[in-house]
Amino acid sequence: MSREIKFVLNGAQTCVAIEDDWNLLYLLREKLGLTGAKEGCGRGECGACTVIVDGLAVNSCLYFAVEIDGKEVLTIEGLAGADGTLHALQKSFVSNGGIQCGFCTPGMILSAKALLDENPQPTEADIKQALAGNLCRCTGYVQIIESVEAVVDKSSGDINAVVRETGDSD
Amino acid sequence: MIDDQERNGKKEIMEEFTVIGKRISKVDAVDKATGRALYIQDLKLPGMLYGRILYSKYPHAHIIRVGTEKAKALPGVITVLTGEDIPPVRLGFYKDNPLLKAGKVRSYRDEVAAVAATDPEIAREAISLIDVTYEALPAIFDPEEALKPEAPLVHEEHKTNLLKMPWSLHYGDVEAAKLDAVFNVSERFSTTWVTHCCMGTSGAIADFDHSNNLTVYTNTQIPSLAQKDFQETLKILGVKDKRVRVIKPCIGGGFGSKLDTYAYEHMAILLAWYARRPVKILFEREEEFIATSPRQPTVTYISMGCDKEGRLLYRDMSMVLDNGAYTSWGATTPSVMMMPITSLYRVPNVRYSAKCVYTNNTYSQAMRGYGNPQATFAIESAIDMLAEAAGIDRVEFRRINSNQPGDVTPQGLRITSCGLPECIEAVSKDLEFGRSRENGVGVGLASLIHVGGGARIYKSDGCGTIIKMDDYGKVDVFTGASDMGQGSDTIIAQIVAEELGVQVDDVHVFHQDTDICPWDVGAHASRTTFVAGNSALGAAKKIRLRLLAMASKATGVDEDKLVLRDRAFFVEGKPVLPIAKLLRGSHFTPRGEMMMADNFYDPPNENMGKDFRGNMSATYSFGTHGVRVKVDEATGKVEILDYIAAHDVGRAINPLLLDGQVHGGVLMGVGYALTEQVIMENGRNMNPDFRDYKVLTAMDAIHSKAVVIETIDDQGPFGAKGIGEPGCVPTAPAIANAIYDAIGVRIKDLPITPEKVLAAIKKKNGTVSCGIDAFTQKEQACE
Amino acid sequence: MKKFKYLIPKTLDEAVSLNQSHEGSAIYVAGGTDVMVKIKSGKLAPDYLISLKHIGVGSQLGVNRETGALHIGGLVTHRTLETSSLIRLQYPIIHDAVQRIGSTQIRNVATIGGNLVNAVPSADGAIPLIALDARVNIYGSAGERTVDLVHFFEGPGQTVMDRGEIVTEIVVPKQPSRTGGAYQKFGRRAAMELPLIGVGVLITLEEGSNRCAKARITLGVAAPTPIRTLSAERYLVGKEITENTLNEAGKLAAEESRVRDSVRGLAWYRREMVEVLVQRMGVKCLQRIKETEAL
Ligand SMILES: Cc1cc2nc3c(=O)[nH]c(=O)nc-3n(C[C@H](O)[C@H](O)[C@H](O)COP(=O)(O)OP(=O)(O)OC[C@H]3O[C@@H](n4cnc5c(N)ncnc54)[C@H](O)[C@@H]3O)c2cc1C
Ligand code: FES
Ligand code: FES
Repeated sequence: MSREIKFVLNGAQTCVAIEDDWNLLYLLREKLGLTGAKEGCGRGECGACTVIVDGLAVNSCLYFAVEIDGKEVLTIEGLAGADGTLHALQKSFVSNGGIQCGFCTPGMILSAKALLDENPQPTEADIKQALAGNLCRCTGYVQIIESVEAVVDKSSGDINAVVRETGDSD
Repeated sequence: MIDDQERNGKKEIMEEFTVIGKRISKVDAVDKATGRALYIQDLKLPGMLYGRILYSKYPHAHIIRVGTEKAKALPGVITVLTGEDIPPVRLGFYKDNPLLKAGKVRSYRDEVAAVAATDPEIAREAISLIDVTYEALPAIFDPEEALKPEAPLVHEEHKTNLLKMPWSLHYGDVEAAKLDAVFNVSERFSTTWVTHCCMGTSGAIADFDHSNNLTVYTNTQIPSLAQKDFQETLKILGVKDKRVRVIKPCIGGGFGSKLDTYAYEHMAILLAWYARRPVKILFEREEEFIATSPRQPTVTYISMGCDKEGRLLYRDMSMVLDNGAYTSWGATTPSVMMMPITSLYRVPNVRYSAKCVYTNNTYSQAMRGYGNPQATFAIESAIDMLAEAAGIDRVEFRRINSNQPGDVTPQGLRITSCGLPECIEAVSKDLEFGRSRENGVGVGLASLIHVGGGARIYKSDGCGTIIKMDDYGKVDVFTGASDMGQGSDTIIAQIVAEELGVQVDDVHVFHQDTDICPWDVGAHASRTTFVAGNSALGAAKKIRLRLLAMASKATGVDEDKLVLRDRAFFVEGKPVLPIAKLLRGSHFTPRGEMMMADNFYDPPNENMGKDFRGNMSATYSFGTHGVRVKVDEATGKVEILDYIAAHDVGRAINPLLLDGQVHGGVLMGVGYALTEQVIMENGRNMNPDFRDYKVLTAMDAIHSKAVVIETIDDQGPFGAKGIGEPGCVPTAPAIANAIYDAIGVRIKDLPITPEKVLAAIKKKNGTVSCGIDAFTQKEQACE
Repeated sequence: MKKFKYLIPKTLDEAVSLNQSHEGSAIYVAGGTDVMVKIKSGKLAPDYLISLKHIGVGSQLGVNRETGALHIGGLVTHRTLETSSLIRLQYPIIHDAVQRIGSTQIRNVATIGGNLVNAVPSADGAIPLIALDARVNIYGSAGERTVDLVHFFEGPGQTVMDRGEIVTEIVVPKQPSRTGGAYQKFGRRAAMELPLIGVGVLITLEEGSNRCAKARITLGVAAPTPIRTLSAERYLVGKEITENTLNEAGKLAAEESRVRDSVRGLAWYRREMVEVLVQRMGVKCLQRIKETEAL
């Protein structure tokens, strides 16, 4: 059955025709061309597909597309400002080594964003708990956790890091 | 800027670099942080079909019939292939792996048929419609059993399950040394399958143009060698003299998994060839677990002895490796194991032999460390045992036997820069080894040696670079290197920027396309920083010389008075000519010049000779890891309290990325030590998902302390050596040693699960039975 | 993956009648974390999914002032439970369990009702609730009924629910004072784990002494369903709670468990862990009782 749903996608009212058996990840990647969310397992076990729905981080691979009707969806593509200014978390991941192969990165950043929106002053334990569903094989998580901490407490950021300007204008 | 001469000797002076040694963020990080980076998952070509593979239902069986009628009849199915339909494409350097099996399957992972359809769901359904009739054969899963004469043969034509590989060496006289040794240990260690778990699954797209030139988009670490493999497949298809172009999208993790070409890549080529449309094959996670090659399991027998003072006299090792049903680079890991076996610590007499054995298990391949983690687990565990036997402190024992600059090891490895003594000191100071500790807490350490200046496993160990500059002073670097996330693009950009006096952002590193990029043997053996770095540095030097000559002509100032920095030429601290202006001038002029240079760098290392002697790498990396653990003696659980990883990296070109390599390597090593295992039951992968294959999570993360020892290697680009793999090499033995220190039990088989620890504790306390074994239904001894 | 239709009833009765009209080919779905995984892997192939997320019931979470009982709607997510201070402070045994279910992303959508109805032996949500003597309110075409959670499970994936019935609510009766509970999921990693074994202990002490008035020892992955270990519970009642008695209770619980070998863990080890964890959770119960009394 085909049906139409309306939702807010990265700040923009969106109306699409979908099939009942689509999941949100499929809708985003295959139908809306938003390939930032990745499929690492399709089973809720890796977090690469994480997006934010009505403020909550969810695994889009397990989320029925039908269920976003009337909701707000934020994907990695919608995180930077309209003028391209990177979100503080994006900047921090870039400059603190939170990114290696980058496959986990969009999901990781969105999990961190959902955490900070709910709890702007998380402890290290809170951060680890919030990111536990986002597997990363490259970094050992250390610099990812530091990337989030640097946003929480600006002064603890890596002051030696050279943030390159292109980073901000992209 | 310093030249080679200054670099020699004068290690102490602070060179003034503008980008080398700085914590510079990765050049591709912004694309990745914004979701713009494109992986194979994200690519689609017009008219593209989706391919899928049918795997065997048996670990060993005759194929009686493959019924494809129903699959072919399914609307949307374009091509169905079986082993009978295609010419004999064979994979792997041993060529024992037919792309599609006909007649016989030898493991659950065997490819029996493949389809291409207009939609992934249709392809999936088509696969389920293929009927295969098998006749099961007796199978063999234990490599030691497989060596027995009565064992079923995996490859009848091979006549034995033992691969014909020459892995055997003997330097000095081990038997004589055994007589001289005062203290001896002898032990058996084993390691099991672990797998890369790249977060991005494997995939490839094959596309022929009208004249049958082939483009393959694939996640490879070896674009140039892949090009050759694909050419061979084309030849077998009867396609000659055509171009093969390999394009690498962003890679979602490598760790050695992409050092060979695989069935899915060749299958995509065949499907595209028969369908006359582009075909994409993309693995799902379960398939990634089942149909990619893990690190090979080993059984190791080691004996080692020392004299009264604790000096090592001999090391005698033999190994059995489970090769699985086919041969890929897993079978050649003994060539790298030889390095730690002959050369980790000074040991004059060494003997080693390894048997690679066919079984009906999955076939194995390279994974971060390439044999080194398995060998080092046995060596470093045994070192602790020997130190104890000799009554010498473990740290002291390692000091006594540490490699030193200038050593030539029995295998002929020439140790040049060597920070091992400093690494051992750093770890022992930090973890306070002699101090008494609370119950259940222990410390352990283990060291490593690894190739740090390339590894000549092929005739060439080379890498090419082309550099070109444009009118605006921007630099394009075309490198043979492959960035899989480890950051080689950034390192190369830094090296070039430093040499040319520009910023990292002025440099664009291009590695994605064999049509554009020069040749390279591949991203293995932690060789990229060293080899590709030197290659880029050489090219940049050529450009620099030409720029200086041109600038001198343009300004009338002597070359040696011109300083190239901050995108301009300076004379006595004042900018006199921007590079961009100079370049424009050279372009927009009659008989102008183009600013471009190429360089091929092949390091001064040697292929191993017949007796495996030879200086395989231009320099070697060293490191020592130390760990403090707490063992819960009631549950057997091991908790890591502190971790310190000291590495001799030559020079840290980018400490930010270096830390990342170390942290990532360490956690992977901890998984290898404690939680990760591909559970194989009679050849079948029992845990092909992240629920049961225990990759560690953020909550398990360890804040390891990364200590960098800079020995400024003479040969390395700006003194750097390789560091990609070492992070995960000594982790498991360091942890095993710490557990022994904590509770007095030694676990000799990886992974060190709580079950094994608890069983060992019980055994130590005199309990013998740990219940009934589910698989054998027999009483199970503890341990 | 088979195609399905997704139906969105707006009331409880509409959900039930939709289920009836698609007899046999429809299943309910709440958070979908179990359903979606099963559909993707081909273990389920329904024609219809009936969403329970919009039926307007099942989202309550609170204590009934009159009875003192805790009411948890069947559609309450694990995340809601995890972040509720009521649960964290007054029902720490539930908090212990829900905060370790899957990941934040999973907990944000997965529901307690789904966890119970899915009925795996490892269901983390069930073990503490059984210890708390929870009852389940079920609604179906035949009306409403109430079942003790301990009798709810019949086997892996099987419950006493009839076709088309819906879990509307879980009711936890008011606990006597001086009650403390604790749950531990024992796994290999710190997160994203299915338990090798799950152990819940709930102890009520007599007034003014360390003597046990009531005990519940519940286990996950120790049998085809989540279970209570009655012999261990009986043993504790009337005894001083000490390390020794807890040890003995652990032994009894281990004996009573019907643990098995699987790829995830060996039976002997699971049995050992029951023993160790019953004791440890027992100690934690005492601590929690003390902490509450100190307030
Ligand atoms: C990655 C991952 C990790 C997980 N980790 C854990 C874990 O650590 N511990 C654990 O216990 N579980 C875990 N689970 C399983 C699952 O998340 C839980 O069982 C969850 O609570 C199920 O809730 P749901 O709302 O998603 O159920 P659904 O998938 O929507 O439904 C599950 C079943 O219950 C039925 N159902 C749902 N709600 C009702 C209702 N109100 N009335 C009647 N029937 C209903 C459905 O028909 C279906 O049969 C995990 C799952 C995933 C994918
Ligand atoms: S792809 Fe959704 S969790 Fe892995
Ligand atoms: S950066 Fe590669 S998986 Fe996280």
